[in-house]
This record gives sequence, structure tokens and C-alpha cells, in this order.
Amino acid sequence: MKRNTFFAFASPSILVMLLLMVVPLLMALWLAMQYMTFRNITAPEFVGLRNYIEILDDPLFWRSFNFTALYIAIVVPSWVVIGFIIALFLDQVSGLVRGVYLSIFLLPFIIVPVIGTIMFKQLWEPSGLLTWIYQELTGTRFRVNETSVKTLIIIFGIWYVTPFTIVVYFAGLQTLPAEMIEAASIDGASRLQKIRHIVIPYVSSLTVFILLFSIMDSYRVFDSVFVLSELNPQFKADTVMTYTFLTAMQFQRLGKSNAMAILTVIGIMVVLVPFLYMMYKEQIAER
Amino acid sequence: MDRVNSPAGRVFVHIVLVIFAIYSLAPFFWTTLQSFKTFKDAFSRVPVFIFQPTWKNYEEVWIRSLPEAGSSFGYFILMAAVIITCLMLFARYIPVNSTWIYIGGLIGYGLLLWAIPQLVYMQKYYKYFVNTIIVTVFTILTSISIGCLAGYALARYAGMAAVVILIAALAFRALPRLAFVLPYFWIGSLTNLLDTHILVIIALVAVNQPFTIWMLRSFFMEVPKDLEESAMVDGANRLTSFLHVIVPVAWPGIISTALFTLLLAYNEFLLVRVLTQTNWTLPVAISRYTGAEDPAQLTLAAAASVSATIPIIVVILFFQKHLVKGLSAGAVKG
Repeated sequence: MKRNTFFAFASPSILVMLLLMVVPLLMALWLAMQYMTFRNITAPEFVGLRNYIEILDDPLFWRSFNFTALYIAIVVPSWVVIGFIIALFLDQVSGLVRGVYLSIFLLPFIIVPVIGTIMFKQLWEPSGLLTWIYQELTGTRFRVNETSVKTLIIIFGIWYVTPFTIVVYFAGLQTLPAEMIEAASIDGASRLQKIRHIVIPYVSSLTVFILLFSIMDSYRVFDSVFVLSELNPQFKADTVMTYTFLTAMQFQRLGKSNAMAILTVIGIMVVLVPFLYMMYKEQIAER
Repeated sequence: MDRVNSPAGRVFVHIVLVIFAIYSLAPFFWTTLQSFKTFKDAFSRVPVFIFQPTWKNYEEVWIRSLPEAGSSFGYFILMAAVIITCLMLFARYIPVNSTWIYIGGLIGYGLLLWAIPQLVYMQKYYKYFVNTIIVTVFTILTSISIGCLAGYALARYAGMAAVVILIAALAFRALPRLAFVLPYFWIGSLTNLLDTHILVIIALVAVNQPFTIWMLRSFFMEVPKDLEESAMVDGANRLTSFLHVIVPVAWPGIISTALFTLLLAYNEFLLVRVLTQTNWTLPVAISRYTGAEDPAQLTLAAAASVSATIPIIVVILFFQKHLVKGLSAGAVKG
């Protein structure tokens, strides 16, 4: 394909991304340097980097940052481990049975995250099923406080993204050459040894992909935290994203919240740049 | 992997899978149960599993009141919907060009959506439902038509420009929505576009574009190059050979991508929440009404959530293969 034809075909999409993604990002950089509330939205006041300084001094921001870090540290390894194990088990069945299991497992991932959260919340209402089980098992009342809300957010995070890792690992397992396993069987390797020495190295590139992707995704988690942290407004369990949202929509500090979004972009870049470099090398190799 | 063959091993495999299935389904199971309960059953401290089911919650969510002859109108609407669906399902056996039947069917659905509130007094959820349909349909149409052209070009062009665009798109995909949405909010409040469908659709098309072009590119890569080359030898230009030769071959992949665009648009929360004040889509509306501390909302929230999930479950049942293909297409090659 010639260069001109390429640009003729791709120009609508390139225009959309330039006008509707690059320009807003540049705007966000500019907005981050303004003092702006809903009242002076047409006449913002230039304050330079003061918004950033204010954020770095804001204990609530650091609290939300710490919770985000904790969330990533627990949720991401769980996705990888549970997803891999379940994919191994799913690989053991076939045909219609496999299809049924796969449909069921996919459900938490496909359903609207907010609605999934509301459904999950129903289990933990005072009259909910899990509240009752919890109280029967421990003999204590289930209380909604900061710790329990944070725990619920983390459990929900694990529940709804694991299907994605299952499908990715499962698709990877389908391409595993049968000869590799047969050779190991002839050498008398046990199942665990085969998994440890053949399967895990075979899917390692997928694992890297999942890790990078899920770190970035869990950094930006919003919907579920937003709904669940409303359970008890006195003990807000906010992540960076929900705190940014509240700063914009509730405290009406548009400039400050834009600065926060910019900080998040920089934070994600730390993970993103190596990933982009990896993809860049792959793209060059493809040509 | 080789199969576990011992009977005990097979049983173990299924036990693990069934436990995981129960874990995956628990919230759906419980919410569905709650949505059919009366207040008394729903608030019992000890969960009630056997009860007299009631439609009351669903009625309260969707229908305000029926007119005098309401039920016959209801049957009329239901019959019309069934007939349209059947016509579209069996379009290929009808001796008319099936494209016309599909177009006619979609217009029929549109007319029904318009007619229902004239006949039955619907709750405001109906308005949110229609909003969701408008936003989703226009987002899919716009982003797939732009994305197909770009995805095809990216699959065929080997120069550096394509690499730069692909990598840039990947970077945009990974950035937080809020970084884009807050400037949109600002523009929206300056231009009075806040709370309109058009702003939401533009924003959705933009934030989904990187994903769309990556996925479509991977499907167009699978189409052999000889196809359009032979068409071009026969005198067709790039565009006509693309439209008449490539698109029909890549159609399943385009459907897969459209499906994911549908899910992304239907699922979007943050963007719609920021850019609208009353013209919400279904997920935002439901979360707004259930955020209140009013305990009477519990069963209504359950009914609303179940109603909003049914379309998605239908999608999974019909398009499971497309979904798995789409989910793994980007991943395994990446």
C-alpha cells in the first residue's frame, strides 16, 4: 500500500484521535495550571504549579494513593494465579461442558461493572446472603467500616477481572504443542513437574502481558470503588481515581483534579513506557 | 495439556470448576432472588429461599401505570416485537433482498421504542433505556466505520507512520479516562453541550478508537492480500475492492469488534456520569437511584440490575465464540 493511500484511509481515525484525545490531553495540562471552580469556569485564574504543590501536601490524596497501591499489590497477583489455575482446570474438559463453564466464568467480566458492583453489594446488605454466612461462621456482626469496605472492594476487584486472565491463559494453553507434553510424559515427568517446567515457561510471555495490562487497569479502577465506597461515606475508601472524581465533581476544584489526572498519567507512564517499547520492537520485527 | 484419566481425578476437576462457577454466579443468583421478593422476605435477617415470587419490583421499576385497555396494548407491542424478530431471524428464507429486511426490522424496532410510551405510561427508567440504545448504536456505527478504514490501512501499510500510530493508540488506551473526560466536561460546560447525547457519543468514539483500530487491524491481517490484488487487477480501485471484497471476508471479525464496542459503550460509567446531568444511560441511572440510603430501594435496585443485565446475557449466549475470539485475539498475539 502506498503512503498516500494509507493516509487517505487512516485520516478519519487519525483526526479523531488527534482532535479528541491529544487536544484534550494538552488542555488538561493547561487546565491543571488554573484555579477553576464551577463558578469561574469561563474566567479561570492562572496559578502555575500551585495545584500540584497542593496535591502533594494533601493527606487525603496520599491516603487514596496508598489504598491504590495496596489494591494493585493484592489484586494483580490474584488475577494471575487464580486465572492460570482455573485455565488449567478448564483445559481438562471439552465440548459443550467447556462452553457452559466458559460462559458462566465470563459473566462477571462481561456484565456492566457498576451493575456487577451493585449485585455484589446486595450480598453484603444487612439482609444479604454473605452477611448472614459471615455472622453464622464468626458469631460477630458484619460491620461496614473502612477496613471491611476496602476488603469488599478488593474481593470485588478479584471477582470481576479474573475471567479475563482465565480466557487469555486458556487461549494460550490451546496453542501448547502436544509433542512437548508427550516428550515429558515419556521421560516420566509428573503432572506438577510438567506444569512447572513446560507450561509456565510456555505462557510466560502471556504472563508479562497480563501483568503490565492489569497493573495499568487496576491503577485506573473507578466504577466499583465509586459504588462500594458510598456504602459508608464516613469512612471513605477512595482510590486515586475516585478521589480525583470527587475533587472535580464534589469539591468543584477542576484545576486541581486535572493536575491529579496528569499525575496519574505520569504514574501510569512508568509502567507503560517499557510496555510500549516491547510492542514497538515487536512491530518493527513484524515488518 | 494431557487429560487426567483417573475417575477420582475427573471428579476433582469438575468439583473445582463447579465451585468456581458458584463463586462466579453468586451475586447474580442472590440479586435475581431478591428482585422477586416482597419487602418482608427481602429484609429478613435469615435468608429466605422459598417464597412467593412477585413481579411487583419489576413493575415499579419500568411501568408507572397502564391505561384502561393497557394489557391489550401490551400484547400488541409484544406481538409486534416477536414478529419483527422472527422476520429478521428468517430473513434469508424470504425471497426479498435480506438487507432491506434488516433495515426495515431496525426501523420497526425504532418505531416500537417510540410507540411504547404513547401507549403505556413508563417509568423514567424507560427514558434511560432509550438513551442507552441511542448512545450505543451511534457509537458503534461511527467508531466501526472510521475504525475499519484505519484498521485496514494499518494492516496493509508497512511504513513507520503505521508503527507510530499503533504505538500512540496503545498509549492512549492505557491512560485514565479522567484525563480525557475532565477537559470534555470543561468544553461541554462552555458550549452548553453537557447533558446531550452528541457529546457522550463523541467522547465514547474517541476513547474507544485505539482499541477498535487495534482489534480490527488484527482481523484484517488475517485476510490474504491476493484477494484485493486480484480485484484491483480487474480494474477496481482500493476503496471499491475494500468495500466489495475485503469487508465481506472480514465480516466476522468486524462483528466481533462491534460486539466489544457495544459492551464498552453499554458499560461506560465514569464518562457518562461526568458528561450528563439528567440524560443518563442505564448503568448511571441505576447507580444514582441505589446510592441513596433508602432501604426501600433494595429490591428495586435488584430488579433494575437484573433488567439491565438481561441484554448482556443474551449477547453472551449468542456470541460466546466471538467474545472468546476477540478477547484472545489481541492477547495471544501481543
